Amino acid sequence: MSRSRPALDDGVRPGEIVLEHASRAFSVKADRGRTLKEMLIGRRRAGGPPAVQALRDVSLRIEPGETVGMVGRNGAGKSSTLRVLSGIVPLNAGRVACGGQVVAQLELGAGFGRDFSGRENIFLNGALHGLNKEQIEARLDAIIEFTELGDFIDAPVATYSSGMFLRLGFSIAAHLDADVLLIDEVLAVGDEAFQRKCEARIAEQIAGGATLVLVSHDAALIERTCERVVVLDGGKKVFDGPVQEGMPFYHRLMGTVDAVPSP
Amino acid sequence: MAYRYLFEQMVRRELRQKYKGSALGVLWYLINPLVLMGAYYLMFGVIFPAPSEDDYPLFLLVGLVVWVFFSQAVLSAAPSLLDQGALVRKARFPREAIPASVVTVQLVTFLALIALLTPITVAIRGTASLALLALPAILACLFAFVLGIALAVSVLHAYFRDVAPILSAALLPWFFLSPIFFDPSHLDRFSDETAALFVLEWVNPVAPFIVAVRDVIYGGALPDARVLLYIVVAAVLAVGGGLALFRRMQGELAVVV
Repeated sequence: MSRSRPALDDGVRPGEIVLEHASRAFSVKADRGRTLKEMLIGRRRAGGPPAVQALRDVSLRIEPGETVGMVGRNGAGKSSTLRVLSGIVPLNAGRVACGGQVVAQLELGAGFGRDFSGRENIFLNGALHGLNKEQIEARLDAIIEFTELGDFIDAPVATYSSGMFLRLGFSIAAHLDADVLLIDEVLAVGDEAFQRKCEARIAEQIAGGATLVLVSHDAALIERTCERVVVLDGGKKVFDGPVQEGMPFYHRLMGTVDAVPSP
Repeated sequence: MAYRYLFEQMVRRELRQKYKGSALGVLWYLINPLVLMGAYYLMFGVIFPAPSEDDYPLFLLVGLVVWVFFSQAVLSAAPSLLDQGALVRKARFPREAIPASVVTVQLVTFLALIALLTPITVAIRGTASLALLALPAILACLFAFVLGIALAVSVLHAYFRDVAPILSAALLPWFFLSPIFFDPSHLDRFSDETAALFVLEWVNPVAPFIVAVRDVIYGGALPDARVLLYIVVAAVLAVGGGLALFRRMQGELAVVV
């Protein structure tokens, strides 16, 4: 079964990320499936909004151990980039490679069985990342301790608040020996103490050689955690460089910068 | 098999979610086919009994269990990728695990029913024979066949939402054309219509599986060599074709479900 996982780490080192001339479009029709009739006739229904080009010829090379923040307005292609990097969505054109164990936190509680307890979901989630029972058991105590969920760890996750979902999801992701960490705007629902704990844990993993790609609208968070910033706009990369220059560029792009008083 | 444990977890998840919060829980997996078999027995064993087979209820039940496994597995596999959409959209793992776990859950029910029915049939009919040793191999072929069909149906339904409705419409006539209530070679009115007999016995890919299982349990003899060859070939073709189709089409699953 492992063969069916499309190889995304062709020719890259663990932690290295390569995106070459990547393009991806999405159909935005409300009804996403095709009907058999359309297949037999051989064409799709005309009309409706055209496909949205989420990524346009994006090239990106990230070295192991780098910390990259990805910013841009809503719909700029940030989440699509993460979905491409995590191998969930294939490209229409271009090449993507992501080395080693890729751990993605794209949505709160993604992949949780709602009737399963927190503890059981740790096993399910570990299994989704290719771990076996022994490997998960070896990490179980550390994960549970990190969540600070106490007795709630044995309650069905359907009863969890969004902050508790984050605690469980992040704690699992933080203990999977990631070479690449992909995080999409999930930290925001944590309380201040837990957010700081997450940041510290991310820093630890980076010190251990992991690569971070973080999507967030929290400028302060990006500035604290990332050394490099990629700004996306309309599916294109419009800035790629150090965070000290990237965030001002982003603020100017968004028009949220206060008029700089002239000297 | 790096994802063996994932598969185990998916089976547990499937078992848990299907009948969550119901008083009988997992037992429903057994009750449903039993009720179905009871209803058909009432209809075709008591009200309209077909005359030609001995111990007709047993003849009927053995065929029915095979059919119920096939139809339930395929029917529940069809929407399985959509049902697990949250997982498919947000996590990267071998998606084959989803329809495979659905089929496996049905297999467990099926094996429980077989384990119930076989000793009863063998005891009543006195059909204990060495042929029973072939039963595991026949059931393995049946599982591979059903798995292949389930893989194909699940990925097709994710892209073309007509597949499940077409399937459930087709299963009813298919059921009546399958040799569950009758043995095609015992149908007098077809005895000189070789074309019709050929369709009943060989065109329907489920028919040889029903015949093989019934020959062993109810008849106490090994199936005809042609039947055995047929089920092996059908199993290989189905699982090979189903897997190939699934892998070819799975790329866009996260977008379409």
